[in-house]
Amino acid sequence: MIQIPIEQHRLDNGLRVVLSRDPEAAVVAVNLWYAVGSRNERAGRTGFAHLFEHMMFQGSAHVPETAHFAFIEQAGGSLNGSTWLDRTNYFETLPSNYLELGLWLESDRMGWLLDALTQEKLDNQRDVVKNERRWRVDNQPYGDWDERIQEMVFPPDHPYHHSLIGSMEDLDAASLQDVEQFFRTFYAPNNAVLTIAGEFDPGEAMRLVEGYFGPIPCGPAVPPIPGCTAAPPLIGEEVRLRIEHDVSLPRMYVAYRIPPYGSIEWYAAEVAAHVLAAGQGSLLTRRLVRGRMLAQDVVAFALPLVAGASMLTLWVTGRPGVEPERLEPAVFEELASLRQVSDDDVARAASLLEARHLVDLQKMDNRADLLSQFATLFGDPGRLNTELDRLRAVTPADVRGFAERYLGQDNRAVLWYLPRGGAA
Amino acid sequence: MSEARTFDRSRAPTPGPVRPFRFPHVERALLDNGLTVLTARHGRLPVVTAALVLEAGAAAEPAERAGLAQLVAHALDAGTRTRSADEVAWALERLGVEFNADAHWDAAILSIVTPRDRLEPALELFAEIAREPAFRAEEVERLRDEQLAEILQRQKEPGALAADRAPGFIFAPGVPYRRPLGGTYGSVAAIGVEDVRAFYRGWYAPRGASLLVVGDIDAATACTLAESRFGDWTGQPGARPSFEVRPGVQRATVFVIDRPGSVQSEIRVGDVGLERGHPDYVPLQVMNSLLGGAFTSRLNMNLRERHGFTYGAHSGFAFRRRPGPFLIQTAVATEVTARATEEILREVRRLRDEAAPEAEVAASRDYLAGTLPLELQTTEQLAGRLADLVVHDLPDDYFDRNRQQILAVTAADVQRVAREHLRPERFAIVVVGDAGAIVPGLEALGIGPVEVHQGPAQEPV
Repeated sequence: MIQIPIEQHRLDNGLRVVLSRDPEAAVVAVNLWYAVGSRNERAGRTGFAHLFEHMMFQGSAHVPETAHFAFIEQAGGSLNGSTWLDRTNYFETLPSNYLELGLWLESDRMGWLLDALTQEKLDNQRDVVKNERRWRVDNQPYGDWDERIQEMVFPPDHPYHHSLIGSMEDLDAASLQDVEQFFRTFYAPNNAVLTIAGEFDPGEAMRLVEGYFGPIPCGPAVPPIPGCTAAPPLIGEEVRLRIEHDVSLPRMYVAYRIPPYGSIEWYAAEVAAHVLAAGQGSLLTRRLVRGRMLAQDVVAFALPLVAGASMLTLWVTGRPGVEPERLEPAVFEELASLRQVSDDDVARAASLLEARHLVDLQKMDNRADLLSQFATLFGDPGRLNTELDRLRAVTPADVRGFAERYLGQDNRAVLWYLPRGGAA
Repeated sequence: MSEARTFDRSRAPTPGPVRPFRFPHVERALLDNGLTVLTARHGRLPVVTAALVLEAGAAAEPAERAGLAQLVAHALDAGTRTRSADEVAWALERLGVEFNADAHWDAAILSIVTPRDRLEPALELFAEIAREPAFRAEEVERLRDEQLAEILQRQKEPGALAADRAPGFIFAPGVPYRRPLGGTYGSVAAIGVEDVRAFYRGWYAPRGASLLVVGDIDAATACTLAESRFGDWTGQPGARPSFEVRPGVQRATVFVIDRPGSVQSEIRVGDVGLERGHPDYVPLQVMNSLLGGAFTSRLNMNLRERHGFTYGAHSGFAFRRRPGPFLIQTAVATEVTARATEEILREVRRLRDEAAPEAEVAASRDYLAGTLPLELQTTEQLAGRLADLVVHDLPDDYFDRNRQQILAVTAADVQRVAREHLRPERFAIVVVGDAGAIVPGLEALGIGPVEVHQGPAQEPV
């Protein structure tokens, strides 16, 4: 199997650096993971980690407002950032002769963001994020499913219980002081991983990394995640919600609490999700979409969450005229069949996972993001090269055992969206 | 360079020497049946993408069966002469092969991406799907009903609703681009299995089609495989559709699609754009990059970064064989709908009325000229570029030459194409939003008449 070359360093200020060279690539990807996400937010500040991410693009001591995007685009590069429950990442892919530009920009906001902070910028990005919320959540059919499912699957004191994008009230409450405090707490080299992947000279790259990031002081110890990450392994009883919404077709979301990413059971869950819904040959597509023609589409995935617990989520959209009362038992019947899953079903899922892994590694930005991920979550970027072994080690008996233990009625959240004023 | 070099962070570092980037070398071969095989070696991972580009796009379907081309493409892998839908899926996926098929306006594109060591069996299955689809009635009807249900879903998604409705105002009746690619509820409901079979017989044929093979493979091997799987396929598609493209409005008009309670307005400012082969294609790319093609474009800087009206604003030309739509698109908070519309029009006028600063034009040129290496990292991305060459009859060295053409565009070119091709006096401005809340403000702008249309009628289910 493919082995991606990996070199690791650590600066005196605690910044972990991962280098992965591919001399055939024409581009270089720069990727930073900060070990902070919505799980680190305090009560009354939901959505803050994401709002903060927006502030990181508003300039820093030596980078004028809006210049961050302009520098990268003018170089022919692409860039973005994203906020997740466990982390926030920032990344740019550049023609390989622009590596230094990426390092300059990333180091400047890691070290000197607050010098350029203004109330005006915060107010502007607060409006942008509120529009992002409207666009993704409030103005979309089924748009709030993930907020609702998180609340149903994780206990109230669990850091995954609350919304990632945050409530409008909490976004309104965010202050400049919050930005400063968040920055000083979480945005320090000792809480970050920097990965460079693609075409570059490793010696020169480390010299540049030392030069740009070395002067940034190490931050204080990162405080523990608020709340309680130690949730019981199962939800304990079925949690259920039915809501009428402005949707055309009824859709059922089902989520199960599962062990966190990295555990042996999590890999079984990942394989199970692929058995269930990846590809036209998947179990739910064969039986519910084609065979019984009850469903319009099916989706399933195991989220890679690490703070104490994670979840396996699926959704099934009913075909027009199919009542929820018919669809739901059919879904649970097929899910129950996972307890006797065939060897072939598991082999099919493994083949798809293996091929997708290979295809994804073509992109330097994907490589860099995965290396940052493994370094941040497990302290070992080398897991990129062993991840497939973990998935391939999952036997059909493991999937059956996983289904038996975790996919029961006592561990599921069931969320129905029904067309307002009657079914389509 | 010296170890003692200090790091001056007060300004952006200068880039290293440019590493020349060339578009991968393309080998062409023509089989006796008229199928062209294009091969390009690419990347270092053992991955191959194969794609068939066929003259079976939506422009070829009968208007009263709109959505047919897409249904045919989606039904290809739902069973072959010798395999059921389950068996086709199973055979592909046991190998880890992903299959996709979609109809665009100008072509249908079928593709597989596969690990190199499974290419031979993967290509055998690929050929079987492309050449011997069964189109069994029960599968075709199921997929048709799924396409109908998808139309219902899109009616509730404001962005999709805007995308589906805008062309109906931009283009005159009779222009194929007026209809949604997936068809309307009525046109799809009318499709029968015989329509599907007839469209396939008429348009899925090797003559004039192309097989793209990209990745960890050499041209000789690719041609041998192509010959063995597609060499004895025969047939010729119908003539490329030809039609006039005319605008649906003669003066600027606002069309509000009422969506009561909507907390945002989806705005689409549209016009008939230009065909891919238009001589102004290159300066138009640069002009659009200033206007709304990138994050730092004027529209996004204004609506998002200055005013906070939106999460993002973009513009673009859909370049097809015939003039596709030009669209500016954004979703804004309901209460700022009129102000955002005004700002959009202001930016369009500014680009027409004032020569853009040279530095801004240079930034757009550099962005467009420099971004190709990033967009050619994968076999799928390269296959997509080759499909562009094939669909639009472009030479194999097109992308290398395009870079030089982009770098030659001046501020005067940008202003000229803005003046010629951005015509605010005949924009169709389509707004999906809460009519009661937004119509007075839109009327007060004085752009032109404001028509209120109902959201989708309750379709029969």
